[in-house]
Amino acid sequence: MSDKTEVNLTGVKQSKGVWLVKVPKYLSLQWDKATEKGEVGKIIIGKKQGKTEVRFSLNEELTALGAVGEQDASLQVPRDHPFTMHTVGGQTMAVFSQSNADEISLEGMVVHRAECRPVVNDNYMKLKKLQIKASTKPQRLSQQLERAVTTVFKPVANHDFNVEHEKKKKSEGKMVRAEWQVVLDMLFSAFEKHQYYNIKDLVDITKQPVTYLKEIMREIGTYNSKGAHKSTWELKPEYRHYQSAEEEEMQTA
Amino acid sequence: MTSLGGSSSSTTEYTVRVPKNTSKKYNIMAFNSGDRVNCSTWTQARMERDMSARRIYGEEESAEGAAGSEFGKKQREEARRKKYGIVTREFKVEDQPWILKVNGKAGKRFKGLKKGGVTENASYYIFTQCPDGAFEAFPVHGWYNFTPQAKHRTLTAEEAEEEWGRRNKVVNHFSIMLQRRFREQERGGDDDDDENEKSGKKKKKGGGRGGDLRIHDLEEDLEMSSDDSDSSMGDDGEGKTKAKKATGKGKAKKKKRKSSDKEALEDSDDGDYEGLEVDYMSDESSSDEELEKGKPGKAEHHPKGIDEASESEEESEEEKQNEEEAKEEEEEEEGKKTPVQTEKKKKKDSSGESESSDDSDIEGETASALFMKKRTPPKRGGRGSAGSSRTGSRPGTPSIDSASTSNTLRAAASKLEQGKRPTPGPSTDSPAAKRLKMEPSSQSPVPSGKSTPQPPSGKSTPSSSDVQLTEEAVRRYLIRKPMTTKDLLKKFQTKRTGLSSEQTVNVLAQILKRLNPERKNVNDKMHFYLTE
Repeated sequence: MSDKTEVNLTGVKQSKGVWLVKVPKYLSLQWDKATEKGEVGKIIIGKKQGKTEVRFSLNEELTALGAVGEQDASLQVPRDHPFTMHTVGGQTMAVFSQSNADEISLEGMVVHRAECRPVVNDNYMKLKKLQIKASTKPQRLSQQLERAVTTVFKPVANHDFNVEHEKKKKSEGKMVRAEWQVVLDMLFSAFEKHQYYNIKDLVDITKQPVTYLKEIMREIGTYNSKGAHKSTWELKPEYRHYQSAEEEEMQTA
Repeated sequence: MTSLGGSSSSTTEYTVRVPKNTSKKYNIMAFNSGDRVNCSTWTQARMERDMSARRIYGEEESAEGAAGSEFGKKQREEARRKKYGIVTREFKVEDQPWILKVNGKAGKRFKGLKKGGVTENASYYIFTQCPDGAFEAFPVHGWYNFTPQAKHRTLTAEEAEEEWGRRNKVVNHFSIMLQRRFREQERGGDDDDDENEKSGKKKKKGGGRGGDLRIHDLEEDLEMSSDDSDSSMGDDGEGKTKAKKATGKGKAKKKKRKSSDKEALEDSDDGDYEGLEVDYMSDESSSDEELEKGKPGKAEHHPKGIDEASESEEESEEEKQNEEEAKEEEEEEEGKKTPVQTEKKKKKDSSGESESSDDSDIEGETASALFMKKRTPPKRGGRGSAGSSRTGSRPGTPSIDSASTSNTLRAAASKLEQGKRPTPGPSTDSPAAKRLKMEPSSQSPVPSGKSTPQPPSGKSTPSSSDVQLTEEAVRRYLIRKPMTTKDLLKKFQTKRTGLSSEQTVNVLAQILKRLNPERKNVNDKMHFYLTE
């Protein structure tokens, strides 16, 4: 249905390897608060006795839980996050990107998988506690009212809606019969847009009294009492000239 | 950026950047390792969304504007859906699967299904290393699992099950697909070139094209939509014709079954006679419905007879419309009415009976007659309906029963009347006795099943000795009590006299002329009577 997008395979050609890192939610939230430059922290890769260790260290300014710039002493996001690295054994994973213009390009292959873990300390525990409390709070809350609500269902002499309606009616006044030809033109232009119309809709469109409108319709149209378009009016075949989804011209007799 | 050399531990630091304004959305394309996908071998690839679900999800859009459209249709549809609480899930383009085609027409095809719940609790980031050594982290927007799509012919589930059943016997696996191909050829589909190449391959469950019953397969629609799919057109043509044929076959089968069911319903009469009650008096087991139809007029006379016998006090206006009226009325009603009435009357009479001395015969017979009468109405009630052959099977018997009962009842009734009125008994006694004796004898020839006029056929002699339309008989009746012409006619039923209704009327009229009885108006009806 849509056009096939040619996939840009440059990334794969160059065998660009990427890492797929799973990052905890709070950390990603902090990263969102980063400045324009986008620096969020540092990765420290060390080799300790043959074992590769990767650590991520969050930038100072991003440790605050609150807004950026504040140094909320109470709670801070932990800074050190060691990465646990895995290899991509079972799955061949590639990364493809989709731009706004629906251009797809293959960015590269995943060579390592990593999980960003925080260092578990008291601070972290407090943070987690906060999170749990927030998540267990029910979204809906039952609240007891001291006094019953009396603003609705008061007996009213005339409802607001009704009053407005009557005023509108009065201001518009009764529908006046326009000239036959004028009404015909209105109808034909309406039927250019749609084939089937309800009499009420026609009244709305033409602002003519119902009886008058029905007279005219009886002359130029037919009434569908059964079938798919239930009680609707349509033009007589000799007046119609529909082309499927194209401009039609109405032919008047 | 900074690298510190150390003795045993060397650490390197890299800055991590999370670019803010990326227009690109990163997604993961995951393959199964078993598929041995090597992206570097790809020379060319095309990818698009699989929009086939839109048809299912999205509502049918009637022509927008111009022919066939209605003013305000959309709003009305929406209002209607709201009213009924129909919540239709939105068709989200983002969640649709991908179709990946690698290396053009002859290459592989993959379908990528979105994996849900990836971004809910943890975020995935893609860390790429920039030329300057820093890492850039991009958030992963979505995860798609790509699976290769079989291009070769596969067996459907049913076929696969069949083959599974034969797996121990079939040695030549190549033939399985060949046979399938032949089958498809027979059904008039186009042949697939791939068949030749892939006939020997193992069947994967993935494709599912063709087969007797086609469950809607998104793939075939996909293939229809795509331009550069090779076998798709052929497959689709086949598939469609097959589908049509399959449905046609299915319908034919259904029709067959239906018709056979209908036939079964109409034809089987065997079990119909099972639950029927057997009457004491009749030996016969079953008879045709036609007999029954021939019988209606006659049969009605018998309940009528009971009426007449026991309800001679009652009057009704009909004169010679006795039979017509009887025929007009529903049998069922009559059948149902009469026993009730007769029973009521019988009770009255029987109470009278007990008072007056009676033959035990009559009592016994009336009792048995009563029993029989009770049973027959339900049978006769169902006679009208086509399906119930219960009564239809034994039409003769009810009428016969009623005949016999009516005879006995009437005999009993007339006996009672005789008992009440001390008028010439002997002449009536003998006929009554004869009548009673006749009944048992008459029943044996009658149950042969012939429903046509019993009296004439079965008992020509008895009818002569029975009620004869003579002046003497009329005189007797009129002396006894005042009667209307109708009552008189009732007395001289055509069955008993062997005359037709017209004849009866004529003869009766003559007799009355001769007798010239006196007239009396009782209850606004003209009664004749004689005083002798």
